[in-house]
Amino acid sequence: MHKLLAASALSLAAVLPAQASTYTIDPTHTFVTYEISHFGTSTNRGRFDRKEGTVQFDRAARTGKVEISFDLTAINTGVAPLDKHLQSADFFDTAKHPSARFVGDRFVFNGDKVAEVGGTLTMLGKSAPVTLKATQFNCYLNPLVKREVCGGDFETTVKRSQWGMTWGLNMGVQDEVRLLIQVEAIKQ
Amino acid sequence: MKRLGAWAALAFALPCGAVAEPVVYRLDPEHSFVHFEVLHFGTSTLRGRFGVQEGLVELDRAAGRGYALVRIDTARVDTGLPAFDARLRQPDLLASDTHPQATFVASSFSFDGDKVRAVRGEFTLRGVSQGVELRALRFGCHPHPQLQREVCGGDFEGELRRADFGASFGMPFVANRVRLVLQVEGIRQ
Repeated sequence: MHKLLAASALSLAAVLPAQASTYTIDPTHTFVTYEISHFGTSTNRGRFDRKEGTVQFDRAARTGKVEISFDLTAINTGVAPLDKHLQSADFFDTAKHPSARFVGDRFVFNGDKVAEVGGTLTMLGKSAPVTLKATQFNCYLNPLVKREVCGGDFETTVKRSQWGMTWGLNMGVQDEVRLLIQVEAIKQ
Repeated sequence: MKRLGAWAALAFALPCGAVAEPVVYRLDPEHSFVHFEVLHFGTSTLRGRFGVQEGLVELDRAAGRGYALVRIDTARVDTGLPAFDARLRQPDLLASDTHPQATFVASSFSFDGDKVRAVRGEFTLRGVSQGVELRALRFGCHPHPQLQREVCGGDFEGELRRADFGASFGMPFVANRVRLVLQVEGIRQ
């Protein structure tokens, strides 16, 4: 009888809506890469290497909240003088605004997969809405950390002038910047 | 008369009277990178980058021919994670100690008008050579603002299976298929 109770309690646990779980951003599998056109010829890319954040995620209730911040002084394009220019007042002005922050709480699901996360991106002391679209999303049991990991690839295109970053617009440097986001977060 | 004869011979040798002169471009290391993308646990995309150590492209747009040689230093792989870069340099992946260079040599170019549409060549990694095709996502030319010289380039993509080169560590958790995304810009010499 006890065994039966235990078994049914176990199966109930499997079907009942789970409570929101907290996931910590895995910095080794979370990167933002930006893409911007270079004179219409090729695409310049850069990456932000230092970041931290958490995700509250409830797949059953289809809700979530993500908070992530990026250290803009760790911008990395592979071209040292460009990294320096990007940190100057012409672009990110990292002396005054060393980090960027994204807070997203409008989770849109397609089945049990996250399809979209809407939120606010704050840079250079200004905030503007941004919607990240998932190109893939998945959860899996990671054999190394022996925990559930959820994540995927997201992308969006923003206009940098929305944050007051206008350097070079009059010289043909594009306003549109595509952001490619790899994210994985480990269940705590 | 002798001189005229020489000119006539030259004109005769040129197909269709076009001044089909191959133009040499040297890849600009500030705007030439080989990026790779590989799927991690079927969930998210790992990315990394190689700078171009040396790159020469010869284009004969009138004749529809081209030649490319690109060399990358595999030890300089850059994923943003020094520990991961060190792992990638190990013998079961890039094998940077025994094979410090990867090369792409191509002499099969296809054009769409005067724009390069695809480049097919041989990619050598870990001492193993395999055919790889790079398709142009965009191609164009612009004047270099400081050098006052023509710059031609674009974005190219291709794919390979890393196991074909013997770099199979971590499969299947980290996929076999690797997408290559290249930014290239060559400055006219």
